[in-house]
Amino acid sequence: MANVRDSDTSLWLHNKLGISNDSWTGGSICSQLNAEVLRNIKDCFPDLQTQVKLKLLLSFFHIPRRNLEEWKLELEQILDVAVADSELWVAMLAEALKTYPSTGSLNTEISDLDEVRPIFTDLVTDLRKLVRKQAENVMLPMECHYLNKSALVSVVGHKPEPTKHFTIKKKQKSAILRADLLQKSSDAASNLKKS
Amino acid sequence: IKLISDAGFQAEITSISTAAQQLEVFSRVLKTSIASFLTNPEDWQNTSKECAKMVCHGQHTYVYSQVIIHVLARESKGGSSMKRLSQEITKCAQKNGHDVTPITMALNGASAYPLACQALTSMLSKNTLNPADITVLYRNYNAPDPPPIDLIRTPQFLELLIDALFKPGVKLNPDHKPKYIHLLAYAASVYEMQAKKGQKRVVNKDELQATIHSIETVHNICNTNKGSSELMAELATLYQCLRYPVVSVGIIRWVECTVTEASYFKLSTEHTPIHLALLDEVVTCHPLLHNQVLDLLIRLFESKQDELEILVQLEMRKMVLDRMVNLLCAGCVVPVVKYIKQCWQKGDTDISLIRYFVTEVLETIGPPYSSEFVHLFMPMVENDEITGTMRGDGENDPVSEFIVYCKANYTAVV
Repeated sequence: MANVRDSDTSLWLHNKLGISNDSWTGGSICSQLNAEVLRNIKDCFPDLQTQVKLKLLLSFFHIPRRNLEEWKLELEQILDVAVADSELWVAMLAEALKTYPSTGSLNTEISDLDEVRPIFTDLVTDLRKLVRKQAENVMLPMECHYLNKSALVSVVGHKPEPTKHFTIKKKQKSAILRADLLQKSSDAASNLKKS
Repeated sequence: IKLISDAGFQAEITSISTAAQQLEVFSRVLKTSIASFLTNPEDWQNTSKECAKMVCHGQHTYVYSQVIIHVLARESKGGSSMKRLSQEITKCAQKNGHDVTPITMALNGASAYPLACQALTSMLSKNTLNPADITVLYRNYNAPDPPPIDLIRTPQFLELLIDALFKPGVKLNPDHKPKYIHLLAYAASVYEMQAKKGQKRVVNKDELQATIHSIETVHNICNTNKGSSELMAELATLYQCLRYPVVSVGIIRWVECTVTEASYFKLSTEHTPIHLALLDEVVTCHPLLHNQVLDLLIRLFESKQDELEILVQLEMRKMVLDRMVNLLCAGCVVPVVKYIKQCWQKGDTDISLIRYFVTEVLETIGPPYSSEFVHLFMPMVENDEITGTMRGDGENDPVSEFIVYCKANYTAVV
C-alpha cells in the first residue's frame, strides 16, 4: 500500500468499508494502515461515501495505543478534514474523536462546530433538566451492588427509606427456618470436630 | 422523515435505520427515548432496553449517544441513573457481539493510566481474565498513586472476577488467586474521599483486609465440593461473611449454578435445601440484591422439573414461594406481588400455588397497608377461585379480615 495513488486508496477503502450498511466495524483495516496510507486517506477523504467516512473514523478505536502515538499527526490531519465535512454525522464524530489520538480519551466538549454545536448542546441542556428532577437513587449503577456500605455512601450518598407497605404480624417461615438451621449448623460443627 | 421529526412526532418514527441517517433526527429520537427512561422510573428496565436497542443500531449512533450520556452522568443529582443507562447500553452492544471496550475506556478516564488501561482493555475485549493482566492491575493498585477505583468497578470486570472465584468448577492458579481476591475486595471496599484543594486524593482502605478475608473464606467453601453435612457445619460462617455485599453477589452466582443443575432437586432430601436458605440471608442483608434474587427464584419457579413427581414438583414450587414471601417481607413488595399476579392472570400456574402464596402473605402481614399494596393484592384476595375455600362463615378468617379492613379504610382504592 506504500505507493498507491489516491484513487486506489479510495477504491480500497470502499471495498473494505463500503459493502455493508452496518456501521459497526471490526477494525480489520487497522493492520494495513501506516503513516503513508493515512496521508493518502486524508487526501481522498472528502470524496468518500458517508458510510465509508464514518467507518474509517470508527476504526480508529481499534488502532493499538502505540500506533496511535506513532501516527498521531496523520490521524489528526484526517480528523481536521473530517470536522469540516458537510455530513453532520461525520463532523460530529470527528469532533468527538479530536482528542483521541493524543490522549486516548474522547472529547466531550462539543463546542467548536457551528452546525453541530446547537444540536449537541440543546439535547444536553433539555435532558439535563430532566436528569436533575430525578428522584434520588432509583436506578443505581451496576457496581453499587458489590459495594460495602461506606463505599456505597461515598458514591451515591444515603439511600432514602423504602416505602412501608405493611407491618409484619407473625414471623415468616424463613425466619423459623433460619433459627433451625443455625442450631443444626452448630450440631454439625461439633459432630465434625468429634469425628 | 426530517419533516415528521420537525413537526414533533418523534414517536411516529419507528424505523431506527431511517432516523439514524440524520444526526438531527436521531438526536430528537434519542431525546424522546432518554426522557421516557427518566420519567418512568417504575418501568426503567423496559425503557432502558428500548433505548439501548436504538443506540446500538450503529457504531456512530453508539459513540454519539454514549458521549451525551457520559456528559449527563456527571450531574451530581440524578447522574447515577444516566450511568446505569450507559451500562445497560454497553451490555446490549456486547450481547450483540460488538467489542465496545475501546469506546468505554475512551470515556472512563482510563487513558491517563496506560498500564492499567491496557491490562483491563485486553481482558474486557476478550471477556476473560488472565493472570498476567491481573498481576499488572494488582501491582498498579498497590503502588503509591493507584489508578482511580472506578476502573476496576467496571461491571463486566466485576462479573468476571465473581465468575472466576464463585462459579463451581473454575480452577485458578493458587499462586495468582490472592490477586483476584485482592482486586475484587479492593473494588468493593476501598473508597476515595474528596480531596481538599491542593491536597492529594485520600484513599480509605479500612475495610479492605476484612473484605479480603470474607471473600477468601467463602471462596474456599464454595470451591471445594462439600457434602451437605460439611456445608451445614459452615453455615454460621457463611452467614457472617454474607454481610459483605460482594460475598453475597458471589453466593448468588454459586447458588444459581448449583440449583439450576438438572438433577439438583431430585437429589435434594431437605425440604428447603441449604443453598436456598442462603438466598434468604442475602435478601435480609442486602436490599440492593433483591432483584437479582427474585430473577433467580422466578427461573426456579418456572423451571421444568420433569424428573420429579407432580406432587413433589408442587412442594418444590411452594418452597420457592416461601422464599418469595421472605423477599416480600424484606421489602421487595411490588415486584413480588406483581409477578405472582401476572402468573395468575396468564393462567398457566396451578391455582393452588397462587392460593398458597396469598395464604402465606395474609398470615404473615398486618395493617396498616399502603394503598399501592392494597391495589395490587386485593384482586387476588377477592378472587373466589383463589380464596373461596379459605373463607369461613363469619369474618374471622384472614381473607375476610383483610377484605373488611381494606374496604373500611381504603375506599378510594378498592
